[in-house]
Amino acid sequence: MARGPLFEAPLYVGWQLTNECNLSCLHCIEESGPGKAFPDELGREQALDVLGRLARAQVPYLSLSGGEPLLHGAFWELAEAAAAAGIEVKIETNGHLLSPEGCARLRRIGVGAVQVSLDGAARASYERLRARGSWDKALASIRELRRAGVSVEINFSPAKFNAGEIAEAVDLAFHLGAVGFYTGRTIIAGRAARTRGLLEPSAEQYEEFFKTLREKARQYEGRMRVCYHEMGLVEELKYRLENPAALFIILPNGKVKLINALPFVCGDLRRQSVGEVWKAFLEGWRSPEVAEFVHALERDPGMIGRLHEWTEVPLRP
Amino acid sequence: MKLAQFVKFREEKFGGVLFETRSEKVYTLSPSGAVVVKEIAAGGDAEEVLARLKSRYRDPEGKLEAEAREFISSLKSQGLVAE
Repeated sequence: MARGPLFEAPLYVGWQLTNECNLSCLHCIEESGPGKAFPDELGREQALDVLGRLARAQVPYLSLSGGEPLLHGAFWELAEAAAAAGIEVKIETNGHLLSPEGCARLRRIGVGAVQVSLDGAARASYERLRARGSWDKALASIRELRRAGVSVEINFSPAKFNAGEIAEAVDLAFHLGAVGFYTGRTIIAGRAARTRGLLEPSAEQYEEFFKTLREKARQYEGRMRVCYHEMGLVEELKYRLENPAALFIILPNGKVKLINALPFVCGDLRRQSVGEVWKAFLEGWRSPEVAEFVHALERDPGMIGRLHEWTEVPLRP
Repeated sequence: MKLAQFVKFREEKFGGVLFETRSEKVYTLSPSGAVVVKEIAAGGDAEEVLARLKSRYRDPEGKLEAEAREFISSLKSQGLVAE
């Protein structure tokens, strides 16, 4: 993704529509789950208003996620309105709430891709990570999406108990008809900070994990994109200080974060225009407090566990 | 000729940007590059796009046409434009 400051508006918006989720995944950075919706989440009218403003700012690419985005009451209207406005729409879902009719509707709407989480090549590891989740439902939704003609991408979050299945998981994604497979290091924040002992792969496991992914990327070249992010969190954040992506993360209450893995909020789309928030976003990345936080994170990795507790980025008048 | 399925174009103060949303690759465009892409997005085959550009800009030596033709060919070879 290119540097942000060149552009007049973000190129990519990741919109967490709700913090409510039907699953309680061990690694969830947002600590989403049943009953976890924010009390001040955007309602239908507010969300459609924000979407209209993103469309007028000609944001080309929008990802709807959560929590579980299908649990937001205006999910379908938002997806339809975004696609009708010419925005490329991607849905990030656990797939459990997608009916055959829903899959066909996504096809009619013209969403670019649906990314389904499938972390593992077997029921045991998947259902261990995705608490309350069903391997059968996840597979059924992927198959139904493909039957409906919707492009599917697979998201895989590594844990110590599923990292060894990565080769089989990539193969499974290909056989299910996915067009892309996405993974990287699991961020140990939010719920993952509490489940770290159960979750975090060792350095040796990660080494083997990425070695396998390099081989799989070559094996499936031209047939399925195998995308993985090998950089650790601190390295990534240091890079982003110099090269902020043209990417907004909108929280369920309309606040905008600098990046998912930093606790800084730079604006509020309930009160501010897209242009105002974009300006604050660019200033935020240049803020000494943000740079200091990233450097402090390097000195004290324990801070990572609190990354999801957001705060306003201090901006100069 | 049109922009490829997953390619989005937006005008910017410096010219424009093409965003290939599948690969998340971003291509920045000069003002003249943005003019050509805007015409491609408006539709028609390569000759129609070139004719519209020629009717709009002075091009006595055919330099604009040659450069635009080469640029369109490069966009096609990178998969950013489809027939």
